[in-house]
Amino acid sequence: MTKPKLRFSRKAFAYPYMIFLLLFVVVPLVIVLINAFLGDEGKLTFDNFIEFFSDKGGGMTVLGNSLIIGLVTTLICLVIGYPVAYFLAKYHASNKVFVLLFILPMWVNFLIRTLSTKAIFIALDVKLGMGTVMFGMVYNYLPYMILPLHTTLVSIDHSYIEAAEDLGADRFTVFWKTIVPLSVSGIVSGITMTFIPAISTFAISEILSSSKIFLFGDAINMHFSKTTNSFGVGSVMSLVMLVLVIIANVLVSLTEKKEEVKSAL
Amino acid sequence: MKKIIPAVLCVILLLTVVFSAAACTPNEIQVDKLVVYNWADYIYDSKLTDFKEYYKSLTGNDIDITYVTFDTNETMLTKIMQGDARVDVICPSEYAIQKLIESDMLVALNYFDENEYAKGLNVNSDLYEHNSSNVDNDIINKINEAFGEIRVEGKDDLQNMTDYIVPYMYGTLGILYNKYSFMEMNIYDYETINKANWGILFNDDGEGNLLSDELTGSILMKDSIRDSYAATVFYLLESGKLDGKLADDGRAYADMPAGELINAVDDTLIELCKKALIEQKKQLFGYEVDFGKDDLLKGNATVDLAWSGDAMYAVEESWDDALCKPCSEERHTRVYGEEKRDENDEKYYLCKYCKEKCGDYELGYYVPHTTGNIWFDGWVIPKNHEPSHLNAIKLFINFLNNPEVAAQNMLEIGYSSAVSPDAVRSNDGARTALAEAYVVNDDSWERLDEDGNPITKFDYDSWEEFEEYFFDYRDEMDNSNWRYPFVIAETSGGYDRGLNTLGVMRDYGVNNKAVVTMWNSARSTGDNALPLLGWTALAVVVTAGIVALSQFIKFRIKSVVKLPDDANQSRI
Repeated sequence: MTKPKLRFSRKAFAYPYMIFLLLFVVVPLVIVLINAFLGDEGKLTFDNFIEFFSDKGGGMTVLGNSLIIGLVTTLICLVIGYPVAYFLAKYHASNKVFVLLFILPMWVNFLIRTLSTKAIFIALDVKLGMGTVMFGMVYNYLPYMILPLHTTLVSIDHSYIEAAEDLGADRFTVFWKTIVPLSVSGIVSGITMTFIPAISTFAISEILSSSKIFLFGDAINMHFSKTTNSFGVGSVMSLVMLVLVIIANVLVSLTEKKEEVKSAL
Repeated sequence: MKKIIPAVLCVILLLTVVFSAAACTPNEIQVDKLVVYNWADYIYDSKLTDFKEYYKSLTGNDIDITYVTFDTNETMLTKIMQGDARVDVICPSEYAIQKLIESDMLVALNYFDENEYAKGLNVNSDLYEHNSSNVDNDIINKINEAFGEIRVEGKDDLQNMTDYIVPYMYGTLGILYNKYSFMEMNIYDYETINKANWGILFNDDGEGNLLSDELTGSILMKDSIRDSYAATVFYLLESGKLDGKLADDGRAYADMPAGELINAVDDTLIELCKKALIEQKKQLFGYEVDFGKDDLLKGNATVDLAWSGDAMYAVEESWDDALCKPCSEERHTRVYGEEKRDENDEKYYLCKYCKEKCGDYELGYYVPHTTGNIWFDGWVIPKNHEPSHLNAIKLFINFLNNPEVAAQNMLEIGYSSAVSPDAVRSNDGARTALAEAYVVNDDSWERLDEDGNPITKFDYDSWEEFEEYFFDYRDEMDNSNWRYPFVIAETSGGYDRGLNTLGVMRDYGVNNKAVVTMWNSARSTGDNALPLLGWTALAVVVTAGIVALSQFIKFRIKSVVKLPDDANQSRI
């Protein structure tokens, strides 16, 4: 008699958060969905979608720019972050201070970091624009790339590498044929953790280009906070963003499945 | 479960006791309530205590004020229109008020009809003073001229805006600029500036040429749709880009007075605006989100589209003891004086060229003469206000039109109060407040510093000197009064600051969406990320090439080196 009761009460601990999720995640999403289909007079319409996809307000252009900037940011982060994560992992046991040094910037509020970056650029007389925005993006999102990579690289069993070396592989081959394939899950999660926030950011571009570079996040922000009567288009843009995030996550789970198969083999 | 129920009951019981106790506190004085919905930082600090005193003196009751703020008219409109906010008194801008009246959301105040306003007012009538005569007539005329009669949606009768609002603050849209940078660019003279007009924001000298090469990349535009739109339309008109173009109603844009032009929001004009805004991007430092004062003072930018109040604040902040204006003007460079000390060990600066004492404002504010925009904010009462608060609402509005309160507000906010300058000037309380804030030496009052000693060092030696600065300051490039734009120097050749040149922007109505779309489109065009993609692709290809090449060379070296290895081995 007592056992089922206990189980019930344990489950009950999850209810507050479930209710929270329902109220602050599901309900707002439903509102966004409804708004996307609402016209000026509260009628059901596809006008908002037409307005966005026809690029009348420059929505598609902004999306394109954001995707490119996100892509390039991710690529640069990967190129810089992988070696860093690799060496951090290699010398991990001997020096944890290095890891700390790379995580340290994440403890400073990112707005403060970005504002100080701007101040530095202005002091150095660097023209604010695409270059400075890219710098700010890479600077801010690099830790999100390094951390998952570092975790995966640290957990690689060293005997695989030794085995490869024993079988006559040179250092490059060991790296390319053993370490990289074993760290794919880290690369994938690093890419998602960088790419998704990078395409939706608006503060970095606003601060580091004096609002000259206009990204998807800026556009959504504009529709919701600086104008009336354009919640519809803003909602459509938010939905597009959501779809992009879902696609990214599906891709991640696909690669993860492949990983499972590989490791099972 | 059995144990939980009593526990919950206990808690509920306890809460009820606490709340009823709170509700039953012995209460001899009635506490009235008021909910104010205003812009952030848009009223002086001690307003709550001052109003409490005022309220108590007139009604004998205490008042409990809830002060809520908004940051754009749009957020306020959304909340009020959807009925999300239940407030008693709001302070929106003119076009938002128009929209609210049209949507039948407001109650007529009739502030300027004393008998009507005082009806049902529960106050000690001996002490009550109706302040409507303090409000500047120029403003009321302007509002009447600009909005005329407004038709409430779904009703036939027309409404006067002045029946609904009590103007609070007003100002102009203009150009905040760094005077000394202009001197260095050699464009700081009356003729050049007035020929360039709104073109300053587009780096256009008025004839289609660059105003100055150095201005490129140091212009700030406001990240505000309506203001940027107005400035752009004026620029189009001034630079002749509207010549020969016809509006939807068949009239030529160039023939329209400023007041009509900014309200003629049709497709042709919007399209022209978009072009100009995209073109302007090459000249910009950026769009300012808060306000470009810091960027201007630090020298990051030279020009900014600004509202008069922000501009006045920035200009006052920009005072620099070391700048010598006449010599700077002559030499087209910043001339700083040498630091000296007087007998009281106070710092001052002497110019090394003219040997005069230095000191000047680094920034200036200019409102073009031929076209401009004036805006105002006013207090209104929404229909869904709490009826029992009406007494407090009316007293609050009347309180704000007291000259002393107006002076405090002007000091705090920087914008010009709708209370007329004469009323402020002639009121003792207002004079004391101003004299204190600006440290004016005046016989009529004495001020003590923190230690209780009389103040000996003053910023202004007499009230007259201060009055000339505060009520009569004129920018050299502009010649109109920066605080009271209707007052113009007679020596300037007399230009008109009537409604024809200083337009009021109405609500864009059905065209609102088109303007928003235009602005978004203009903002997204220009700085394209495609080159970035190209460069990245190139970098990837080059890196891949280098890696492939190095691998290839490695492979070749290995195969070459193999031979002697084999030879060695065979020898062994």
